[in-house]
Amino acid sequence: MARRLELDIRGQICPSCLLLTLKAINEEAEALRRGEAEIVVTTDDRQATATIPAAAERMGYHAEVASLDEGYRIRVFGGR
Amino acid sequence: MLFESPYLFIIASSLAIGLIAGIVMHRADFCMTACFRDLFLFRDGFLLRQLVLLVVASLVLFELGRLAGLIKPYPFPLLPPPSLANLIGGFLFGIGMVLAGGCVCGSLYKLGAGSLASLLAVLGMLIGSTAYAEIHEPWADFARATRLAEALTLPQWLGLTTTAVLLPLSGLGALWLAREFRAGRMERPAWARGHLAPWQAALILALLGFLSWLLVGMPMGITTSYAKLGAAFTSLFAPEYVESRSYFSLQSLHYTPPFSDQPIQGGPGPALDAIAAIQYPLLLGIVLGAAFSALRLGEWRCHFRLPPRQIVSALAGGLLLGLAARMAPSCNVWHLWGGLPILALSSLLFLAGLLPGAWAGAYLLRRFVIR
Repeated sequence: MARRLELDIRGQICPSCLLLTLKAINEEAEALRRGEAEIVVTTDDRQATATIPAAAERMGYHAEVASLDEGYRIRVFGGR
Repeated sequence: MLFESPYLFIIASSLAIGLIAGIVMHRADFCMTACFRDLFLFRDGFLLRQLVLLVVASLVLFELGRLAGLIKPYPFPLLPPPSLANLIGGFLFGIGMVLAGGCVCGSLYKLGAGSLASLLAVLGMLIGSTAYAEIHEPWADFARATRLAEALTLPQWLGLTTTAVLLPLSGLGALWLAREFRAGRMERPAWARGHLAPWQAALILALLGFLSWLLVGMPMGITTSYAKLGAAFTSLFAPEYVESRSYFSLQSLHYTPPFSDQPIQGGPGPALDAIAAIQYPLLLGIVLGAAFSALRLGEWRCHFRLPPRQIVSALAGGLLLGLAARMAPSCNVWHLWGGLPILALSSLLFLAGLLPGAWAGAYLLRRFVIR
């Protein structure tokens, strides 16, 4: 079972969502690549549902977006 | 004559344009700040390409409207002559908008959707715009002393006809955009509910700018109303202060609106004048349109957990933005959606300042605010 790193970035100013997620991706790069960790972002930033998956894919990871009552949940996981 | 008074028609037009703009900006998250910030912060030019589309579409619409005699006055009123004030104002505006997390317009649609950070930014803008009255006289002297030309637009300055400059430019723009569309760089997957593609938003906003000029007599602009709201609020408890500042007695707008033969005027003072009729409904429309859109999607919610650094950044950024919007004068929406498509010299200078300003803002944001 992969270790789950939760980031709750609801209500923060733009572009906290993408910046903090990229920071977490860089910090967890090795574990993400080996499938030992995943990052789960909760956000209400509509823009982030497009920018985070695009950035994650560019860096060679996968991303999934789910719609929740409190906003959106974006899961970043997996390696090449 | 459509109505007895020109005000009723202007108020109704501005409110309708604002409501649609608010819905469209919320659905597409069409953020002018992100256009520039993301280029420097993430090397991501996606949104900036959408802005190019908006500018090129407006350029074509405005020029066709001018040739058909539909839009007047041309150039539109309140366009300042080019001076270093535009450049410096644009630079400070760029820093402010990135720190505030949204520009004068962007913060309004985010506020409509329930963003507390944007409420702080808007409060900062109100204070900054009103505080400009303190430096208005020396700043106006500086703008006069550094005036670069008497011409208002690039074609005027070059001594060419408007069409001679705009036609090749729109052709080049269209070719470049066609290439970007074909390469798939104008679209990207999005998962937000009720998402509107930014390129569609850009076209609708260009059309709204055209309608605004057609119906109201100028493209969308809202920043004078920030100083006006601030002055109206200040005069509730310190009317003598507002009366003592020369800035608040200016009557910067004198014009005869389309569909009327009655000249009207207005300025940044607290009075309910032409500026109030044009800008207050637009401002209110954007907030209400975005709120309606967010409610319809079930996304309207307010969060109160803002890190202290971001509270300071939103307020301070808003303050700088408000001040800079009076120094420039006017905001990015006025200059980039209105002035740039007719190649206003002041708007070109504003843009030249805005780019390094957004770069500096992005640096400060990453270094001190979001860590």
